[in-house]
Amino acid sequence: MLLTVSHLSKSFGSQPVLRDISCGLAAGQVLAVLGRSGGGKTTLLKILAGLETPDAGMVLLDGHDLRPVPPNERQLVYLYQEPLLFPHLTVFENVAFGLRIRQVAKAEITQRVGEMLAELDLGAHAQKAPHQLSGGQRQRVSFGRALIIRPRLLLLDEPFGNLDAQTRADMQQLFLRVSRQHQITSLFVTHDSREALTVGTHFGYLDRGILTSFPSVREFVQDPRTSIAAELSFWESIQQTALREKI
Amino acid sequence: MPFRLPKLLLGSYGLLVVGLPLAGLAYALLGSVGLAGPLAAGCTGRYWLALGHDTSLLYAALYSAAVAGAVLLLSVGLALALVLGAQASLRRGPLLGLLYVPLLMPTLVMAFYLFQLLSRAGWLARVSYQAGLTGRLEDFPELVQDAAGVGIVLAQVLLTFPFLALLFQAIYQESRLDDYYQLTRTLGASAGQFRRRVALPLLLRRAAPTLLLSAVATLGAYDIPLLLGRPYPQMLSVYLTTRLQRFDLRELPAAYLAGFVVAGGLLVLLVLALRTIRRHAL
Repeated sequence: MLLTVSHLSKSFGSQPVLRDISCGLAAGQVLAVLGRSGGGKTTLLKILAGLETPDAGMVLLDGHDLRPVPPNERQLVYLYQEPLLFPHLTVFENVAFGLRIRQVAKAEITQRVGEMLAELDLGAHAQKAPHQLSGGQRQRVSFGRALIIRPRLLLLDEPFGNLDAQTRADMQQLFLRVSRQHQITSLFVTHDSREALTVGTHFGYLDRGILTSFPSVREFVQDPRTSIAAELSFWESIQQTALREKI
Repeated sequence: MPFRLPKLLLGSYGLLVVGLPLAGLAYALLGSVGLAGPLAAGCTGRYWLALGHDTSLLYAALYSAAVAGAVLLLSVGLALALVLGAQASLRRGPLLGLLYVPLLMPTLVMAFYLFQLLSRAGWLARVSYQAGLTGRLEDFPELVQDAAGVGIVLAQVLLTFPFLALLFQAIYQESRLDDYYQLTRTLGASAGQFRRRVALPLLLRRAAPTLLLSAVATLGAYDIPLLLGRPYPQMLSVYLTTRLQRFDLRELPAAYLAGFVVAGGLLVLLVLALRTIRRHAL
């Protein structure tokens, strides 16, 4: 297992946010965690990233305890719902940020950033400012900025939540392609069951601080809490009604 | 229906904020060439020619620029250090409220307060004498009405730094720099790298127009340099006022000329600086 989370708990004051959470993630897998707002999804990701401290429990990465490791040494990138691009830097410099702070040689930065921008279809926008880009393009720059440092684990907090339906679908496909190509391990949090099914290889449901992991897609779909079965039967009933009216 | 300002009101306001200063500038220009003023004797270029030999205006301008630069540097440095180094204190506790206190003080009150505190006959000098740290009046360092303008700089910093700290704090929150901090940490940046590469450029570029106006306000400050400065060197406002208030009316054209040069120069500087800032605006 690349990531092992065991018995993780966290409370804010008297309010428990995460209750005895355990899960694992092997290299190359995408764990899609479905859940409603306020269920503890963001807190879980922030604890993994080192931005919050757990009250109890253990987080292991490749068998090493992550608790004493500061966020900037974990190589786990946390992506927000908004792209949060640096407004004073160009697209090129936004993507190059992680390399510049690691003092990578100039020539290597130029080459790697150029390749990343081409891969994300952003080559023509390299010298633009973030405010000159569309929502989808901004999110792609944010991806590029994270991927260029070759993170061991990507933590995505509803990254496409602010995009329109079409751009969102395009970004999901882009995420799938790039994830497979770079063999990226991710924990993808969303409140959209369709998005979870599209991007995930493994599935979980987080509600009121309790995480349920599903051994297969079938069980994830059939669990009444995910509402996927109910949605399917709704569409089936619509289809049958339409067919009856046609006859 | 959207509210539209009546044309007459708009025109009157425009006249007040643009027309009258421009009229004053034109009057000063006419005065400097002998075409306006109580003793105007016809068109002459002698006051402009004499300007080349008079270094007092240049010294006043350089002295003012040095004071304004020092005030801006110190105030920006202190405000940034506070906002980037004491976020927790600024969000909880009385610090934020205390920053408003100096802003409520009129500049003349601040100048009097510092004069009472720092002059050779002031409170600090008396305390140091009683404590045996100084034996004579001259042993206490000149902190007000000194040649280097320490008193002026100190008073201006005490007024400017809290204002800039509040401005930077508002930009910090509005720009979501806390979220940027967390993001850059997971991208591998240390706290110092976040400050240098993200927070500082963002805060300074967003605050640039206000920093420029603050420097111009210091450059034109009057009350504080009048009370805490020396007769020589003088800051621009004091220098100009002194020249305009002389009893000899024959000196008025030279004073008009100095006023015109200073106002015109400042306007040109302001336009150039604002254009540069706008080009790099976020």
